[in-house]
Amino acid sequence: MKVMIDGKKYDAEYGEYILNVARRNAVNIPALCHSDALPGQGNCRMCIVEIVDKGRKSIVASCAYPITGEIEIVTNSERIYRIRKTIVRLLSASAPDNEYINRLRKEYDIPPETRFKVDRDGKCILCGLCVRACDEIGVSAISTVNRGTTKRVSTPFDEPSTVCIGCGACAYICPTGTIEVNEDEGRRVIWNKTFELLKCSECGEYFITREQYEYIKKRYDLADTNELLCDKCKKKGIGDKLTNVLHNVIPVQK
Amino acid sequence: MNIFKRKVKKTVLVCCGTGCLANNSFEIYKGLKKKIEDLAVNVKVRPVVKATGCNGLCEKGPIVTILPDDVFYCGVKVTDVDEIVENTVLNNKVIERLLYFDSAKGKKVRSHKQSEFYRKQLKIALRNIGQIDPGNIDDYIERGGYSALRKVLFKMSPKGVISEVERSGLRGRGGAGFPAGLKWRQCAEMDNFPKYVVCNGDEGDPGAFMDRSIMEGDPHSILEGILIGAYAVGSEKGFIYIRDEYSLAIKNMTKAIEKAAERGFLGQNIMGKGFSFDIEIVRGGGAFVCGESTALMASIEGRVGEPRIKYIHSTEKGLWGQPTVLNNVETWANIPVIINKGAGWFSRIGSKGSRGTKVFSLVGKVRNTGLIEVPMGITLREIIFDIGGGIIGSGKFKAVQTGGPSGGCIPESLLGLGVDFDSLNEVGAMMGSGGMIVMDENTCMVEVARYYLKFLSEESCGKCIPCREGIKRMLEILEDMCTGKGREEDIELLLEISETVKEASLCGLGKTAPNPVITTIKYFRDEYLAHIKDRRCPAGICRELTVYYIDRDVCRGCGLCRKGCPTEAISGEIGSRFTIDTSKCIKCGSCKEICRLNAVKVLGGAAE
Repeated sequence: MKVMIDGKKYDAEYGEYILNVARRNAVNIPALCHSDALPGQGNCRMCIVEIVDKGRKSIVASCAYPITGEIEIVTNSERIYRIRKTIVRLLSASAPDNEYINRLRKEYDIPPETRFKVDRDGKCILCGLCVRACDEIGVSAISTVNRGTTKRVSTPFDEPSTVCIGCGACAYICPTGTIEVNEDEGRRVIWNKTFELLKCSECGEYFITREQYEYIKKRYDLADTNELLCDKCKKKGIGDKLTNVLHNVIPVQK
Repeated sequence: MNIFKRKVKKTVLVCCGTGCLANNSFEIYKGLKKKIEDLAVNVKVRPVVKATGCNGLCEKGPIVTILPDDVFYCGVKVTDVDEIVENTVLNNKVIERLLYFDSAKGKKVRSHKQSEFYRKQLKIALRNIGQIDPGNIDDYIERGGYSALRKVLFKMSPKGVISEVERSGLRGRGGAGFPAGLKWRQCAEMDNFPKYVVCNGDEGDPGAFMDRSIMEGDPHSILEGILIGAYAVGSEKGFIYIRDEYSLAIKNMTKAIEKAAERGFLGQNIMGKGFSFDIEIVRGGGAFVCGESTALMASIEGRVGEPRIKYIHSTEKGLWGQPTVLNNVETWANIPVIINKGAGWFSRIGSKGSRGTKVFSLVGKVRNTGLIEVPMGITLREIIFDIGGGIIGSGKFKAVQTGGPSGGCIPESLLGLGVDFDSLNEVGAMMGSGGMIVMDENTCMVEVARYYLKFLSEESCGKCIPCREGIKRMLEILEDMCTGKGREEDIELLLEISETVKEASLCGLGKTAPNPVITTIKYFRDEYLAHIKDRRCPAGICRELTVYYIDRDVCRGCGLCRKGCPTEAISGEIGSRFTIDTSKCIKCGSCKEICRLNAVKVLGGAAE
């Protein structure tokens, strides 16, 4: 089906999110809590757009609004800009050290904050991606705690989690680099828990925690494998295999 | 009428709702029962759970009604038991002392139904409350209970039920006012099983007790409504989500489910018609946001009570991703009546876009506080002045706040407004679940906005940024204003943040949270300006912006105020005039309370 974005027509699949269609066509919509791996969060509300559906106007979060009909979308109206600007201002007052937000601040031409108490010295904007990632992995070691203005992300009772496998997916997906991961001498510390790291049997680099290794083996039923390869070596291995296959299929001519 | 016959029918109803129970009504019930049993006369004594203040008389409880004469006693004490039995029950003599004083008429009335408070009401959802014992299923059946279920199962198709509800024009009573019939149709059309029906009993608005009273006082009507809904959409499993603080509601609901199952209204093959249904009670953990439908479903599933994006309706993907119909307690309680009396009957009540009645909990500075049920379209003036009996004390009406913490404040100029879903939205307020708080002139509107924003900042789930951060900053500004630190540009800033929170928030809580701020600015901007520019609070509420003084013309120098002052800020000789040292005064108000001559005044302006 066709949708109209800022006056131009684009193709869209039924059920596709507005943001996906826009990004595919290089229409810029800002978003903080969006990850292509974990779409449809809808927490940060930066990606709001105006839509006209059967004559009805409304403001929706483009990252989670599924296209089910031929709608008209406006991504950059004055109103939308104003609301986004307020969101950035609100965020930067609470997460002043967040570089990403500071960049946005400049982009939206927001002067230094003089009205609000700039109170939180952290970087977290509570986008929720880390919690979602942990859930999707199937571990659910972290969650949001408390409500409203006191909300934050943590492990149960702030204790080192009993189920955390130290995979670091939460830190990897965090858009603002808030989650700390410290690694040295075969150990990784994350969420107050220390993990033993295992070495790649090929290149000898530390790359995975023992818990994560066990978890993967169990989850994908790989009890018999003892293969312990890091991403690089795994890729290299596949590449080598592929080269062999190709060599056999297409004999190298001398 | 035959005297013997009347004696046989005589029934004594003792209110055992939360409010009356707290005032010892159970002892009264036991006393009456024992006395009558001892006398061995043919009179039934039944405890009746009438929820707190459902007739506006919780403050006057415990309440005893004697049928069939409908003699209505309030403020009954255990020591009155003998007199009631001997005079009224046995000899039909009315005890003048215990009758209800109707302030509108200025006299005592024999039956509550004669009072102005009662006359303007129309009870549909509250039809049985105070009339039946909620623990006794036969009481409910006697008043036509479960006949709607029978009608539906024997005579109507699921489609027929849905179109009946659609034609009735019933809109959800939980807040958003979504047409109930349409919701059911959407769910019924889904070819995806199992389907669920949910009853939202997580009433969290401060000062609201509509759903509570129905759950406590007439649980079977809710069950019957849910059963009819389940039959219509093809569901076999339901949940009732009740906030845990409502212990009596949970108790009565649990008992009702047991009794209904015993009689075959719940379980397998109900009434032999091949329809099976089971229901479970889920106790809410106390988060306000869990009254939001998707957060409530998350909570039932055992996840964090956060709302999700609703671009896909719950009727398509709700509880555990299955088609779900969720309605609130009051909506369900309306269903059996609609089925029995017909959509035509129901749709003739109320206003054009809002059919039927609405239950409100009328509280604040009105004479008759309590639960009322009125046809929609009735004006605010009728509710507050005719039913509510006007403003308590000598104060003047200032505003009425409708729709719970995120509703709006409506000023005097709009008292002629007919109350329904759309009209309230138009003036910036909302129906919400039916809270109605009346304020008099001793209310500071800036402080009111601050109070609600404080509540919402604690109850926002914190998931989306506009709601979490926006409410926090609006509260910050309002707190500054109330303490004399407001800035000139603050009003515009408040409106700017309000727009963002209203338009960009994820769920209904955030989308409505700025209402108290927007409406108070719209209708009471002067007060904001007084706080900001003049650094004074016209209503004399915000401590930092007021000053206490003693009116020299009124003071006779009794010295009581000096005794009451905790900071020794008051000085003067007995017999002469007393004065307050403003530098020592902490504005606690003790002197004002103590003074018999009303000589202590509060000036809505800081000392020069």
